[in-house]
Parts: sequence; structure tokens; C-alpha cells
Amino acid sequence: MFACIYVSDFPVEAIVRSEPLLREQAVAVLEGKPPLTRVISVNERARSIGMEIGMTKLQAAVFAESVKPITTANRRQRRYSSGPPRHSTSATMRQRSPVQEGSAHLALLDVAHAFTPRVEDTAVDTLLLDLSGLERLHGTVQKMGSDLAERIAAVNMEANIAIAANPDAAMHAARGFDGVTIIPSGKESQRLGVLPVQILLDAFAISSQGNSGKSLAREREKLCEQMLETLEQWGVRDMRTLGLLPEHALASRLGEAGVKLRRLALGEGMRTLALSEPSQQFEEAMELECAIETIESLSFILNRLLDQLCVRLETRALAVQELRLRLQLERRVADEEITTIGELAGIGTSPDCHNVALSAMFERNLRLPVSMRDAKVFLKLLQLDLAANPPGAPVSKIWITAKPAPPRSAQRGLFLPITPEAEKLEITLGRIKAVIGEHRAGIARLLDSHRPEGFRLDRFVVAAPKKISSTMPEDSNSPALAMRIIRPPCRLRVRLEEGRPISLSAETKQSSREKLQGKVLWSAGPWHSSGNWWAENANPNDSNVGQTGPWDREEWDIALLSPGTSMTDGEGNAVTLYRIYYDLATGHWFADASYD
Amino acid sequence: MSSVAVIPVTNTVLTASSPAILRAQIESTLGEGFASTLLLRERPVPRTISTGVPTLDVLTGGLPRGALSEISGPASSGRTGIMHAALAEATQREEVCALVDASDSFDPASAAAAGVDLDRLLWVRCCEQKSTFKRVALPTSQKPGQPARISFAFSHALEQVLKVTDLLLQGGGFGMVALDLGDIPAESVRRIPLTSWFRFRRVVEPTATVLLLVEQEPCAKTCASLVLRLQTVSIYASPKPSCQVVGTENAQATGSSNLLRMQFSGTVKNKSDAETQRPCIPENNIVGHADVFQGMRLRAEVLRSWRQRKPPQSVDAQFELRAAL
Repeated sequence: MFACIYVSDFPVEAIVRSEPLLREQAVAVLEGKPPLTRVISVNERARSIGMEIGMTKLQAAVFAESVKPITTANRRQRRYSSGPPRHSTSATMRQRSPVQEGSAHLALLDVAHAFTPRVEDTAVDTLLLDLSGLERLHGTVQKMGSDLAERIAAVNMEANIAIAANPDAAMHAARGFDGVTIIPSGKESQRLGVLPVQILLDAFAISSQGNSGKSLAREREKLCEQMLETLEQWGVRDMRTLGLLPEHALASRLGEAGVKLRRLALGEGMRTLALSEPSQQFEEAMELECAIETIESLSFILNRLLDQLCVRLETRALAVQELRLRLQLERRVADEEITTIGELAGIGTSPDCHNVALSAMFERNLRLPVSMRDAKVFLKLLQLDLAANPPGAPVSKIWITAKPAPPRSAQRGLFLPITPEAEKLEITLGRIKAVIGEHRAGIARLLDSHRPEGFRLDRFVVAAPKKISSTMPEDSNSPALAMRIIRPPCRLRVRLEEGRPISLSAETKQSSREKLQGKVLWSAGPWHSSGNWWAENANPNDSNVGQTGPWDREEWDIALLSPGTSMTDGEGNAVTLYRIYYDLATGHWFADASYD
Repeated sequence: MSSVAVIPVTNTVLTASSPAILRAQIESTLGEGFASTLLLRERPVPRTISTGVPTLDVLTGGLPRGALSEISGPASSGRTGIMHAALAEATQREEVCALVDASDSFDPASAAAAGVDLDRLLWVRCCEQKSTFKRVALPTSQKPGQPARISFAFSHALEQVLKVTDLLLQGGGFGMVALDLGDIPAESVRRIPLTSWFRFRRVVEPTATVLLLVEQEPCAKTCASLVLRLQTVSIYASPKPSCQVVGTENAQATGSSNLLRMQFSGTVKNKSDAETQRPCIPENNIVGHADVFQGMRLRAEVLRSWRQRKPPQSVDAQFELRAAL
């Protein structure tokens, strides 16, 4: 058995998928540049108010204005009113969106590939599925049909589904009948006979596109139009009539194509599906009629796109490892203004100047430590990221691309130590980042260096349990002496006697360094430390110069006697232990740590 | 409109059973729905974890889970060392810990030397240099004869600490959340409203998280289940104060501090009645930094404990720091 998924009015459905509220309205999709803008697709409600494919935008606008637009009051009134809903209360015209159509097509493919690996990508709105051997997995044919419909509804789409013994019969039935249609084997001609010949020719033209080039497809379409004209002249309007025509007479008049059409009208013939590979591209996009300026408004759209993306990933049993958000920003400065500004500034209209205005793409990458598939978590992370890095201009187009990964699997146990949930932890880290800034929280990784600040800060990821964890020092009965680093090092004025510091005071008057002054009770040192002398040409403006530049210094451990209440010398003065150093490169004294 | 029930309380002599009588009256008037609010909730004995220092475990009974513990003391009193020991214990149990570092003073090298598994420690560096050290004159009354009370506004750093701690506790799943306020002046830390500590205590109560606060002076008052005050008793570089060890030629090669020539210097005295120790310094420069402080002796005093609501008298213990580097 074969199933066909057919989405009628696909351009409309692709737009309605992203904006579910439009499903209640009459929608017409336009294409072309003014004044040649034409209606290319309408939904049932639009047809009911008189809109047709091929109308100009002006003609369609006349019908659209004739209906009452939906308002909140209308919607509420209709919700509480009894009786059948009125057929049409509002009409919307939208420009065709190839990106949304692409996303909708990929969503359909995901549904099909999740159902069976044998899928033919016949057309953008038509998919053929081989259901042979799936009865034990999915149940009866009726159940398979309803399952497919449910799965398609889960990706916010409506489609006709037909199941028949051969792929062409399934395709014709899907194009001709609404909802789920199941044609028992041997009754194809009986069920398909009522369908108009137009459907047969449309399907015939589409099925030949996949295996031929554009020019051949155009020729096939032209041939189909000619045949349709001929058949209409003969009075053949449905497939039953076409099937009753004698094969030899048809062959002599319409050639091989005529014979094939007759066989298709009878629901006969079997062909091999041209199988398609499952797509690894998970992208959802939306084009906006009006650019939006606030993150709150953007969040609603992101939420919808992320929901769609997660549903698609769920159908394929995948999760997200990396999320990429691309925003097309509306130009804030017109070309004329650029020219004017350039002339006023005396710089002319350089290409750079144009680039600044035109290259309005904004990208954010969200790398996740573990694979996840929670739209709410993604939305929160994107919101936090956008709040920290706002786009800075109105947004007119949105893409969200997910890098798929297998979902994480973790063995849980009653006796495992508590760990933060990965999703919660990501949101917590995102919020912390919003409070303290970027790169201020994470895991400290020690570098293989004797540099005093020899570490780097990595992203925090909950480490997997270690089988052997015995890194505790052997002598753990007493706590280890710890250091507290003074960041940045505090510059000192130091008095020396016989080469040893005898008193010091901090040059900078900071509250936490107020105690950093007084008599040096005792000192030990110096210990000379240097390194990375080969990196003398390091860029001092580099943010990592503290980790890469050279250092050369003499370190001292001192006990500083200063007023306080700590360990005292008997006279009420506190003794604090510091590490100070003399920087041989600059000739200054610094305090960079205290012992605690 | 909500109505308030007025309960007539009889003029009875308050005896030991008067709360029970009152409760019976209230229940008879308002019904049994109010019974639960009148019951005295007894806090269960908290589960504790080791501080990483056996002496302190004996003294305190360990750090209670689901509670706030404070370790206070001046600089160089071993606060950070004990915090590292507690973090090391927790991370060695494969718990995920977080360190909210108010003054960006955490040293990963010494923490790793103390046994902290850095892979399981989330280090949050709260301090923003540009905003932390902004001098602000506090509008407080100045007493005659006292210097003008000028404090530094650590409000930004403290605000970050409180926000981050709130987020970490709300997120949950951490075995220990340590707040390092050790370099923040006590007068600034005292300005944190008690409601913040109360909120933290309530958030952490139903969890297994240890909320550890390291500071100069206790500030969480009754919100803390354990308050520990540390003081340095003595510093000495050798087990024998009167050491006069003569170094050998290969001392540099071996790096052993016991073979170095030592001499006393300075006048550090302590309150310990055991012996008076004075710091030693080596004459030459071939010992490691931490070797100088080998055997720093500390004194820990329990000011408040979950084991006793009001300790009749503070108890203390002495222990030594060991060189970690």
C-alpha cells in the first residue's frame, strides 16, 4: 500500500502554519512585483468570498475590503454565540514567502520520514509513502491514515491523505478528496472515476517534474494543457469517462501520453518510488509584513518558531546541540540619506558606507552543553541573550536553525549525588550572565604554567561522574593554606632596608586595600619568577595578555602589621600575610595575594 | 468582604496548659482547619556533611544541609582554607558546587591543591572593578571625635552576589553554594537586609544544599544555623620554635624546608596558653611560599550551632593549616 500526503493551497498553508490565527480567515497569497502582483493561492474561505487564483492585487483587495475585519470584540462575540460559525469574517493578503514554504516542506518531510523510511519527495506539496510492511508497526491501514493526519496536524498543517494500492492512485485520491481517504485494492477506478480530469493532468505534470529538467517539465505542462483542451472538446470531464475510451483510439489521437493517462484514470499501473534521503536541515523562518522593534514582540514569534522546530525534532527523535538565530534588520538609513551624509562629511559614497547600511544581518549562536529539546528553555535562553545583545534595529525576517544531535541519555540512580538539571542550569547560567556579564562564570581550568594567574575560565558543564575520585591530598586532617588573589594587583609604595621591605602602603585608596599598609613584621624572599619572555611582542591591548604576555618578578611573603583586630602582636595591631612582588619590567611593587 | 472572627478569650490564669486551652477554644470557634497553624513545628535534625577538617567536624557536628552556615574571621585567619576544605569534600562526593565570589579573589590553584575538583565548581566572579570601588560617603551621623565615616560602595557587588545566589538556589541541584564575602568590609556586609538571609534560608531549607557564607563578621544573625569564628593563634615555620637548622648544600635540590637555616624574626604573640610561637623566616630564598607558613595554628569558636539554640558558652578548638602549594 502507498500513502500520499497532499497539502492543498500550499503557499497559504505555509503562511498559516506560522500564524495559526489566519486559519480562521480568508487568506490570499500574492506573488510578483507591482504592478504585476497576482494571487497565486487562496484558501477555501477566500474562495467562498470570491477570491481566485490569477486575480490582481487590486481585484483581490476589493473582495478583502468587502468582508468585516476580525476584532477582539467580534472574536469574543463569535466565541459565545450559538449556532454554526459564520463562514468568513476577515480576509488577509500576504506576499509569498519561499522561506516559510521551504520550512513547511521540510516539516512534511520530517513527518513522512518519521513514519517510514521509504518516502518520495514528489513535489513541494506532495509526498508519497510506501507503507508496505508497516502493519505490525503502525496497525491497520485506517489507523495509519489517522496517525499520519495527527502527525501532520502536530506540525500545524492540514493535508489530505489517501492510501491506495499504487502510488498514482493514492496521489489522485489525495488531490481529489479532502481528509483521509482509503481506497481498497481493486476499487481504484470506481472511487477515482468521479474526479475531474484536471486533477489527473496536474498530477501527471507534477510526477514528471522530479525526473526531468525544467525545460522538459515546461513542455510536459504545455502538453497537459493541450490534452486537457482536447479532452474538454471531446466532452471528457471526469476520469471515469476517460477510462471508458478505447485504448487504441486514444493512442492514435493522443499518443503514448494518452494511453498512460487512461491507465492512470483507471487506477492501474505501478511504479517505483524515487526515494529521498531524510533531511538534516532543521530551519524555521518567518518573514514579517511589518518590522518589529521590541524583544517582547519578537519573543512571540520566536516562541512559535521554536515550537515548530521542536515538534519537527521530536518527530525525528532528535535534540538540539546548537541553535542559530539570524535576524534580518530593517535598514535604518536610506540610500539617499547615505549619499547626503557622505557628501556632507566629505567622504563621498564609499562602498563601505553602503555596506554599513545594507549589511543588516544579526546573528546569535547558542551552543548548548548538552542536547535538549525544550522550546521554553530555548526561548528563555534566546530572550536572555537578546536582552544582553539587542539587535539594535527593527527586525523584518527571522531564521532559527538547529543543529541536530541525538538526545542525551543518562542513567539515573537513587544513590547518585544531586546535580542541577541541564535545562534549568542553562537558564540559570544565562540569567547569571545577564547579571554579571559575559565570561564571568564558569569552570576554572588550570593551565600548564607557573604563571600566577595560570588558568582560564571555561563554560560550566556538569561533569560526568568519575569512577575513581581520590584526588584528595593525603594529609587532609588539616585544611590547606589558601590564597586570595587581589585582582588587579594593588600597586604599593615600599620602603626597603638592606634590600628587604620594612614598610609599605597601597598607592590606590580603595576600601578593600585600606588595610594594605603598615610595618612589615617579617618578610621572606625574594623568589624570582619569570616566563614567556619569548612573547615580548604580545599585543598589550589583547584581552588575553595576562595569560600570554611575559612576566618577570621577585616575590616576597610578608607579615604586615596593620591596625585591626586579627591575630595581634599584643598591641592591638593585626597581622596579615601577603604576597607582594617587585615587577622587574616596570620597576613597581605590587601586592597580588593574601594568605588565608 | 472578608470577615474577621473575634474570639473571646476567657480570663484564665496562664499556666503551663494555657496554650492547649487557647488552642481548644480557637478550634472550637473556628473549626479544626486552623489546627495546623497552631502546632509547633519542630525542625528535623539536619543532615550534615563534613567540613573537611576533622577537628571542626567534632566541634560543630558538620555543615548542616538545607541551612545557612557562616564562617567569619579577619584576613589570614584560615577562612578561605576551610571553605576550600568544605568545597573539596563536597566535590569529592561528586556534588556540584558553586562559589559566588564577591571580590573576585578565588585562587583556582590553591583550591585545586586543597583537593577541590574544579570540574564540579561553578565559579561566579561578581566583582566589577569599575563599579565596586566607587567611593561614597554614607549619610550617617558622625560622632564628635570620630573620623568621618566614609565607606566604599560595595552595593553593586553585593547586589550581584544576592541576585546570583538567589538564582543558584532557585535553580537547585547544587550540593554547596559558597558566598565569599571575605574581602568585603563588614560594615558593607551588615547593610544587607536580614530579609535576604531569611529568604535564602527559606529557599534552601527544603533542599539538600549547604549555603556557606564566608565573611569578616557574622551578619546573618538568627538565619544562620551554624556560626563559626576563626582566629589565627600563631604562625611558625617549624615544629620546633627554637629551630636553628643548618641547611645543606643540596637543600635547593631537595626543596625540603626542614633542612633550611631558620631564624626567628618579628614579635607576633598569641593568646594561646600552650606556647608562644613566633614566625620564622628563612635566610635564603629557596623555599616555596607556603613553606614559610607551615604549621599556622588557628582557633575556631562556635558562636551559634544548630545543635543548641543558645550555646551556654562558646566552644573552641585549635588546629593547624598545612602548606598546600
